Amino acid sequence: MAKSQTELRPLGKSVGRKEDPRFIRGMGRYIDDIVLPGMLYMSLVRSPYAHARIKHVDPSAALEAPGVKLVITGEDLAAMDLAWMPTMAGDKQMVLATGKVLYQYQEVAAVIAESREQAEDAAQLVDVEYEPLPAVVDPIQSLDPDAPVLREDREKKSNHIFHWEAGDKEATEELFRNAPVVVKQNVRFPRVHPSPLEPCGCVADYQSSTGKLTWYVTSQAPHAHRTVLSMVSGLPEHQIRVISPDVGGGFGNKVPVYPGYVCAIVASLKLGRPVKWIESRTENISSTGFARDYHMTAEIAAEEDGRVLALRVKTIADHGAFDAAADPSKFPAGLFSIVTGSYDFKESFVEVDGAYTNKAPGGIAYRCSFRVTEAAYLIERVMDVLARRVGVDPAELRKRDFIRKEQFPYQSPTGWTYDSGDYEKTLDLALEKIGYEELRKEQAEKRARGELMGIGISTFTEVVGAGPSHTFDIMGIKMFDSAQIRLHPTGKVLARLGVRHQGQGHETTFAQIIAEELGLSTEDVLIEEGDTDTAPYGLGTYASRSTPTAGGAAALCGRRIRDKAKKIASHLLEAGEDDVVWDGVSFSAKGLPDKSVTMKDIAFAAYTNVPEGMEPGLEATYYYDPPNLTFPHGAYIAVVDIDKGTGAVKVRRFLAVDDCGNVINPMIVDGQVHGGLTEGFAIAFMQDIPFDEDGNCLAPNWMDYLVPTALDTPHWETDRTVTPSPHHPIGAKGVGESPNVGSPAAFVNAVVDALAPLGVEHIDMPIFPWKVWEVLREHGVNK
Amino acid sequence: MRTYQGDFFIDLPRPTVWAFVTDPHQMGSCIPDLLQLDVESETRFRALVRVGVGPVRGKFNLQTELTVTEPEKSGELSIRGGGMGSRVDMKTKLTLSDTENGGTKLDWRCDAVISGPIASIGGRLIDNEAKKITEKMFANLRESLSSVSKQAAAASADTEEPGSTD
Repeated sequence: MAKSQTELRPLGKSVGRKEDPRFIRGMGRYIDDIVLPGMLYMSLVRSPYAHARIKHVDPSAALEAPGVKLVITGEDLAAMDLAWMPTMAGDKQMVLATGKVLYQYQEVAAVIAESREQAEDAAQLVDVEYEPLPAVVDPIQSLDPDAPVLREDREKKSNHIFHWEAGDKEATEELFRNAPVVVKQNVRFPRVHPSPLEPCGCVADYQSSTGKLTWYVTSQAPHAHRTVLSMVSGLPEHQIRVISPDVGGGFGNKVPVYPGYVCAIVASLKLGRPVKWIESRTENISSTGFARDYHMTAEIAAEEDGRVLALRVKTIADHGAFDAAADPSKFPAGLFSIVTGSYDFKESFVEVDGAYTNKAPGGIAYRCSFRVTEAAYLIERVMDVLARRVGVDPAELRKRDFIRKEQFPYQSPTGWTYDSGDYEKTLDLALEKIGYEELRKEQAEKRARGELMGIGISTFTEVVGAGPSHTFDIMGIKMFDSAQIRLHPTGKVLARLGVRHQGQGHETTFAQIIAEELGLSTEDVLIEEGDTDTAPYGLGTYASRSTPTAGGAAALCGRRIRDKAKKIASHLLEAGEDDVVWDGVSFSAKGLPDKSVTMKDIAFAAYTNVPEGMEPGLEATYYYDPPNLTFPHGAYIAVVDIDKGTGAVKVRRFLAVDDCGNVINPMIVDGQVHGGLTEGFAIAFMQDIPFDEDGNCLAPNWMDYLVPTALDTPHWETDRTVTPSPHHPIGAKGVGESPNVGSPAAFVNAVVDALAPLGVEHIDMPIFPWKVWEVLREHGVNK
Repeated sequence: MRTYQGDFFIDLPRPTVWAFVTDPHQMGSCIPDLLQLDVESETRFRALVRVGVGPVRGKFNLQTELTVTEPEKSGELSIRGGGMGSRVDMKTKLTLSDTENGGTKLDWRCDAVISGPIASIGGRLIDNEAKKITEKMFANLRESLSSVSKQAAAASADTEEPGSTD
């Protein structure tokens, strides 16, 4: 049960979510709820072809249609030098196509009309003549020297985007040469999509009278969007106000800047009226930030007993037509080099090559800290391949190879410094809680009867919370984050942060952090995010970074307030500052606990009775640049039964033991874990965006791209261990993405474990029943 | 690209079949769900057809052009067009050959590139839909040809045995 919100010292307690009363009553204010006087609507004309030359675009019929105010083409934007825009990954991307189109559903023209219906009808009338070109949808074929060059705008005449590597190649090769055991496995992480319930959209409102643009947009990073918009458009940054209202799910889908946004802004600038653009479901899935699409090969060199020596990974990354993965600028493959995971590899060498294809751009979204999901899935899958090869139980193998508790801070062979962890403790708790020994006995009995039951383990390590700013930036903007706290005279608090929540519960958890620091209750603290005119600058919410960065800022900002409060307390208590002590709820003079002043007393005094010479008021801003990332970890165990007749996999049990450091709100952490596991389950069993050879996207809707419902979703069991981050102000690490990162491997390992008696070593996601059914038939079951 | 192909036999001599399949008025009328036919020349016609594949429903505007490869034997029908943001680009090869009993065998092969929502949203349904459309097209063709065949039979009966028909 949720605890009352008036309780003092709320940190670590299951305080009820302050945002829920409006969400569960349908009173959230999402982007499509924004309606402004005189507002127009925009609809986009999109390419039916994945690759084609544009012969001409004729908007004349559309312009004559009822209600149409404006049609924007690529040539119109080119005249404004806006036909292309920079991507966050340092590439550029077409806003509206000129010359040619590079993926199906690419934006070709924008139609603005009095109503949404009129805009959509008129969009059908824009006459575009195409000359189809051969499409390249496979990144391996795209890297073939004979493949047609897709990006003719680039100097480099090939589809190769980047080569990136980490680790010591020579030292790794040396260990492989002499290793008693080497295992190798190709692993595909399919192209998936975050598919948030609320698609992308915006309302651009340019007021010619003031020269100010207010841009309502469903954004996870409003400040970054403001800066990018200013840089692209030349509009002065103080004349741009970005407001990200309630966000109906983001999962990384709402980090990039999309062409529709630029078109809506251009339309508002040209017409002097507000312009709304809301995507359809198909537009969202087919054209906005997808996730993964990694073709990976991993090799492990090990001793006979399964002790790992070295890891070698080669990856082809399909980035689509433009490199629009919102990675930190020095990390074209994100944080993928965390791929050594929880294991003490002596050496590792990791290579990633990015490729252009005739598919939509994107690549890092979906509840993932910059490619850590691909990395965690790969290593957890391949550790199981090794376990089977050396004949060691997968739980035992992991224990042999874990980085030991005493090795932290741990230097990984690819250059990361893990802050803290206790992997064995977490796995032991998971094994005990799920009843591992008994499950293995049951499995042996079932196998003897020919039944297919599997147990899958994943003991992943994450890397989240980017900054620190010396290593991490996006388009040059350093990845710190911020908090600003203002105490009103009656002791109530308004706090604003540089991040933007989308369901994470910031209005509650950040209120808990600040209330804890100030000796107040969460009810006393109002959290505001998402308005760039009021909130301090920050890089936004994604990659599980809010608690590691803005959460740190909130705590330190609270302490900054408390420093001034202590001076006021000393004045009110008539005691020397050194004699004033804080007990977590109030200040008192040493040895005189009966006479105390609370933050409420101090807030009033700050505006009515400050000591002489002190500046009145009680507010502070803190920009927190974390000294390192945080490294949450977990031990997940899935138990599955497979129906030999249909190939259907039933997840009988799933236990997630997470260690995200100190917990701010256990109920919210459990909720985050439940949601992430549900997504991980969907990725493992239901989700894929395939393309046919002509580049037609074959799953741009919820009939073909599946989102799990309550009926599909297994029951989740959760528990946790606590290994605080040594450097974070409240010892927290971030948890939002752990379940999505850690669970796919547990599901797949369980399925492969069930099929292992047949000789199956690997099966690629998504594990549809028909795929299992085919594997069963191939191995002589149910012929 | 998707390929569909088939063949069928017609109880008419090859030149008659050839004259039929190369006549835009005749051939155009065989298109299923035809709403409007505009014959532009002896080798070109425009057709407005009703299309429905799964949730994608609407009208397609198709431009058709016939190229003769070898007179009375083979030709190619190129069909291009679309609607509702979707496109089709089809090349259909028709080859006629004589059968032993004086009839004609018609071999057809259609290479189709289908793009846009009709291919992506209707992806799972499109092969069956295309099969249905082509089957209907050739069923119409056969029906029209059989009426041509009957007319021809009647006409020849008229010339050979005047006044003898019932």
